Amino acid sequence: MNFTNPQIQTEDLPNIEDVVLKPISKSYLKIITLNRLAFYSLILGAVFGLKYLIKEDGFQDNFWLVFIGVIVICIANFIISILAFKKRKYAVRGYDVIYAKGLIIHSIITVPISRIQHVEESRSWLARHLGLSTLKIFTAGEAGSDLSIKGLQQLEAKGINDFISAKVNGNN
Amino acid sequence: MEITDFSQPIRQSAKGIIVIFAFNLLKFFKKFVVFFIAFGIQVIRKKSFGGVTPTMIYLGLIAMLVLILIIAILKYFNFKFHLSKDDFHLATGIINKDNIIIPKSKIQNVYIKQNFLQQIINVVSVKIETAGDKKSEIEISALDKRTALLLKKKLFNKTTSISGELEQVESIEEPEVFFKVTPKRLFLEGLSQNHFKSFLLIITFSYGLYSELKDFLKELDLEKHVDGLVELDEATILNLIITNVIIVIGVVLISFLFSIVKTFIINFNLEVVEHQKTIEINKGLFNKVSLSLTPSRIQNLVITTNRVKQYFGLHSLSVKQAMVNVKQQKNFNIVALEKEQLNYLVNKLISNYSEDQGEIAKPRPYFMRITTLEMLVFGSVINGLSLAIFGIEMLWINAVFIPVAALYIYFAYKKAYYKISENFVTIGSGVIDTTTNILEIHKIQGVKLKQTIFQRPRDIASLVISTASKSVTIPYISKSEALIIYDFLLYKVESQDRDWM
Repeated sequence: MNFTNPQIQTEDLPNIEDVVLKPISKSYLKIITLNRLAFYSLILGAVFGLKYLIKEDGFQDNFWLVFIGVIVICIANFIISILAFKKRKYAVRGYDVIYAKGLIIHSIITVPISRIQHVEESRSWLARHLGLSTLKIFTAGEAGSDLSIKGLQQLEAKGINDFISAKVNGNN
Repeated sequence: MEITDFSQPIRQSAKGIIVIFAFNLLKFFKKFVVFFIAFGIQVIRKKSFGGVTPTMIYLGLIAMLVLILIIAILKYFNFKFHLSKDDFHLATGIINKDNIIIPKSKIQNVYIKQNFLQQIINVVSVKIETAGDKKSEIEISALDKRTALLLKKKLFNKTTSISGELEQVESIEEPEVFFKVTPKRLFLEGLSQNHFKSFLLIITFSYGLYSELKDFLKELDLEKHVDGLVELDEATILNLIITNVIIVIGVVLISFLFSIVKTFIINFNLEVVEHQKTIEINKGLFNKVSLSLTPSRIQNLVITTNRVKQYFGLHSLSVKQAMVNVKQQKNFNIVALEKEQLNYLVNKLISNYSEDQGEIAKPRPYFMRITTLEMLVFGSVINGLSLAIFGIEMLWINAVFIPVAALYIYFAYKKAYYKISENFVTIGSGVIDTTTNILEIHKIQGVKLKQTIFQRPRDIASLVISTASKSVTIPYISKSEALIIYDFLLYKVESQDRDWM
């Protein structure tokens, strides 16, 4: 009987902290900026719309206060999204894919390649112009373990896609 | 009519027409009932509306009925299924023909259900479910019971070579009824349920009823009467208190009754049958359900009990599978189990599980701080609301709220623990209920480490473990501990080449 049951030293296990995470493409910052700006202009437009809809004095008198409040929130949000950009990192190991993101709530998600159901590479109009793509990785069941790595260089995304597809097919 | 040979395309029992007809009729009425009533009343009142007379309405209704019947008949004739060696085949569709093939190995569940109508005409429906999305469900709505059972058996037997063996084994080992609920235990189960939900439901319902009736009451000029009655001398205050107490007791009684009746209807004649490899659950009063659980398809086990239930020895076991919709998910509940029966079942469903494996560890006390914060937010909302609605004297609710909140925090922390052993993750949680979540490590789909910006200086993080059926969280543990678990779980999943279903 050649069954062995060696003790596992948890210190010796591959360590997630040791992995060098790669930042996503810098050009993606442009997409974030553009998206955010479009979003803010929508909100500010809505605020101006309210100015013409609501004729009450209380609102009209304090309109600029509301307006400045909204602008401050937008700026804070913008700064946070820019800072959070640096936190978007990813790595592919032999057996899993790692993605880290978030400034205020930082999270690191790891999905074992053997659990991946399918991979999707999607490119928006803007991303196509910047040569970027989004890699979506789907596992079974709940959405909690699905990954979507945005802002990868197109070649990089294709490479990862091919690697994962080959691995997944090889396993079956 | 009993069918034994499934190799040729066959139709369901002719009674299926009735079931399909009734089902479509119900669906049709659900969609158009408002329209019909509104339009119909208009027409009947005015004798005609836009050139439509009552006679035309009746004729239209009859035409609709006939149309639905014709559709039902056509559906019946165009619904054929058969079994090949490895697959289940189904051809449906009147105009758009669908041909569905499901490999037997991908079938996750086979239910046998019987609703009220089906009980009357003595047929059952068979539902075949895969782990895909809701659309991939297949329902054969009318088969006689023996055919259904045979079909189910054939669906679970994977290949002919094994099936011969299996049938032999099964014929030797008669399936035995492992657990059968008694009415007394069911009654206790209903009684000891978390009544908050039914209580809230009834409160909102009666409040809604009250606000509907308010205008009506005003019209009756009751207000003056009431005003006349409420002269604040001591006797009336006493009366008022007594009335309020009676109302509260009444509501509590009703919510008890509600819970008990609900438990009885859902779990009537609950029965757990033990087969060679699977476990079968039968239950239901109006909707009889029978379903089989295959251990390899199970993703999570959730055990729930509470103080009162523990006293009576009642435990519920809920089995989570991949991508089962919420309505079905409720059927995978086995209630009123004894502790030993529970342990036996857990062991049957996930082999080698034992409660003693692994060390119990608790979240950091930071957990309490967060819970306190939550309670503070909740408390300020409550205070704000009562101040706004009832005025300053309602602040006395804090006398009730603060002790309850303190107890809440205490119990939430006391019941929170986690345990990582060689093959299993066990997580305990709950406040009123005691919930235990068990999952097998090789069924994990993904692991996530979460840390907010406030937790970073304190070196605290949470770990979210996802399986195909749900995600569980180990809250607020130290980051180094979280990283060790993270690495360990990944190592376990990636180093062994085991399937998750």
